[in-house]
Amino acid sequence: MMHIRISLGVILLWALVALLAPVLPLSPNTIDLPQILVSGNPDEWLGYDDLGRPVFDRLLTGARTSFLVAVAVVGISLIVGSLLGTVGAYAGGWLDLVLVRVMDVFLAFPGILLAIALAGVMGPGIDNVVIALSVVSWVGYARLARAQVLSMKERDHVHAAVAIGAAPLHIVARHLLPLISAPLIVEASFGLASVVIGEAGLSFLGLGVQPPAASWGSMIRDGARYMLVAPHMVIAPGLALMAVVLSVNVLGDRLRDWLDVKSPVKGEGEKTP
Amino acid sequence: MVKPMIDLKLLGVLALMVVGSACADLVSDAFRFGLAGAPANLDPRFATDATSDRINRLLYDRLVDFNDAFEPVPSLADWEQLSPTHYRFHLKTKKHPFHDGTVLTASDVKATYDFVLNPANASPHRAALAVIDRIVARNKTSLDFVLHRPEPLFPGYLVIGIVPARLIAARHPFHEHPVGSGPFAFLARPDETRLHLIRIRDQRRFEFIAVPDPTVRALKLMAGEIDMLQNDLPPELTGYLENDPRLKVQRTSGTNFSYLGFSFEDAVTGQALVRRAIAHAIDRQEIILYVLGSAARPAQSLLPPEHWAGARDLKPIPYDPEEARALLRRAGYSPDHPARIVYKTSSDPFRIRLATILQRQLQQIGIAVNLRSYDWGTFYGDIKAGRFQMYSLAWVGIQTPDIFDYVFHSESVPPRGANRGRFHSTRADAFIDRARTAPNLAAKRRWYVQLQHHLADALPYVPLWYEDHIFIARREIEGFTVARDGNYDGLAQVRRSSPDAP
Repeated sequence: MMHIRISLGVILLWALVALLAPVLPLSPNTIDLPQILVSGNPDEWLGYDDLGRPVFDRLLTGARTSFLVAVAVVGISLIVGSLLGTVGAYAGGWLDLVLVRVMDVFLAFPGILLAIALAGVMGPGIDNVVIALSVVSWVGYARLARAQVLSMKERDHVHAAVAIGAAPLHIVARHLLPLISAPLIVEASFGLASVVIGEAGLSFLGLGVQPPAASWGSMIRDGARYMLVAPHMVIAPGLALMAVVLSVNVLGDRLRDWLDVKSPVKGEGEKTP
Repeated sequence: MVKPMIDLKLLGVLALMVVGSACADLVSDAFRFGLAGAPANLDPRFATDATSDRINRLLYDRLVDFNDAFEPVPSLADWEQLSPTHYRFHLKTKKHPFHDGTVLTASDVKATYDFVLNPANASPHRAALAVIDRIVARNKTSLDFVLHRPEPLFPGYLVIGIVPARLIAARHPFHEHPVGSGPFAFLARPDETRLHLIRIRDQRRFEFIAVPDPTVRALKLMAGEIDMLQNDLPPELTGYLENDPRLKVQRTSGTNFSYLGFSFEDAVTGQALVRRAIAHAIDRQEIILYVLGSAARPAQSLLPPEHWAGARDLKPIPYDPEEARALLRRAGYSPDHPARIVYKTSSDPFRIRLATILQRQLQQIGIAVNLRSYDWGTFYGDIKAGRFQMYSLAWVGIQTPDIFDYVFHSESVPPRGANRGRFHSTRADAFIDRARTAPNLAAKRRWYVQLQHHLADALPYVPLWYEDHIFIARREIEGFTVARDGNYDGLAQVRRSSPDAP
């Protein structure tokens, strides 16, 4: 149970920092050239980056960027992908066929290349990164939702709901979506990490966060160049990213167990005899 | 019947072992040079990137080279000027033959330049040689170049590597299998990241290995997987390697000119007062000290002061933020109404780092800078098309002062030249035109020096610095001399000291 609490604490801290970063007394963009790559000390315990900026301040500011991008992209992708996949699978026929073909077209492109192309066309900026990554990410959720619904819609309780005259919208909302939410949440937990990495890649190419703004991904990218001389530049954002991704995965896994009616674990301390 | 078969197999295995051990010896004896990027084109008639140019200098000989003052000096040939439009070149007799064994003659020189001048071949070097009217091979060792108009700088244009006429006629793929007459011969290119050459005088093998990531390149050097490298490392990494007792570092002043460029069609950067304010707002000394690791010197003009046409009396623009703020006020800007500039740079992490510092320094005088970094293709495309307010770039390998014509003349707006900011100055045009038609180098120098003073006032570029060349090698590597233009010619003299040497 301890690991659940720790994970929950990490995610809450991440969210809290992301929300409060604008009002905290931080100076993430203050360049102090004599401090370049100075490692941690009692005054600045995470040290300074390659422009003499405090790594701690940038870590907190970067948390906000990574959080907003990750939540926005995963949120948009999850909603859009799940809806399209569910509707297509439940409706079947030509609508499902068109949706599958559209998904095939998206899957035919390597995801990051498509994101680069989109972000390149739309221009640099964090809002365009959210759009580009969402366009790439929705397909995974749609495919998963469709596969789940295709198996679920033949179940007895769905047939029963159809037999008593329940509306399709009601069936999808009450009898299908709750059952397919577990794998979608697990997929979202993995998606969260890949979105942070994707944002870093786009920022590195000049299509995402623009200097001097900070994100964890761009901090890792910048720090990787100084691994030999200033490992603190990459260790701090790397550990932060790892902690967040691990925590999201642990919570996602726990949530899946909790939502799965067949799971032997159902809520805190409850076990099947 | 069985026994002979076994013997044959045994022989085969033994042969493989012998060949394998020979190859292992070759590899272990080879000098391995780390590159940031592979050479793009090993055909000197088409190569334009710096790495290709440096490798091609090893593979091919050229008629003319440059001394430390950037004056043209004989390389493959001496020359005499018969008239203002007529040059005669005499090939030196003691030069290497081509690597295929044939002798380099005047016909090969003529064939090489005729190929470049033929519009159908679309050589990127054709425009620079447009002054040539015709080439006449007089005999095996001498040939004449006849020009459309007098050009005292002309010998300095003949720096393209010479390739065999016979192979040109046969449409030989020089980019895949180079054949020149330089001190190194092509051996193999196993893949895009590796190039194997052999030094002709002692048959020593050289491997050029492209390792894009600077940290990995440094680690390979420390581990002995490569023996040496030059440039393309962050200064901090250079300092780190300098402290490694297994390595040694050599530096020399470079001539690659870093600058800020401006659009003259823009309402903000088109104002001389704003450009002058920017020039005073940049603390070059602090950047050179802390960011470039003192491996650069402040620049005052496109040509360094040691260049024969350089303006030696021109001083770098001083850092003076108060003056910069005053100039901005005169231009009509204030904290309530700041000048806003979009600053474009490439996505190279080190360039972004420098740009971020410049952004901060400009913000301190009241200019709101929006920094945009792009991948190289997008960035360079925007610059060539004039889609920018301000950008930073560097001119690499500048040898002759006709670069001013190419960069600053009103008629050199792309695609005709590189006047990307659309700088139009009748005074600059007049200086360039006079320098172009001046009858000798001394007269040209006078006009070019006056032009550089005018450019220092008009500021189509804000000069930043000339970055040094830094060569780092394993301690046992000896004999390399770092060239001012960063070429790899020193590899011709490189040797490995014996392990028990002090």
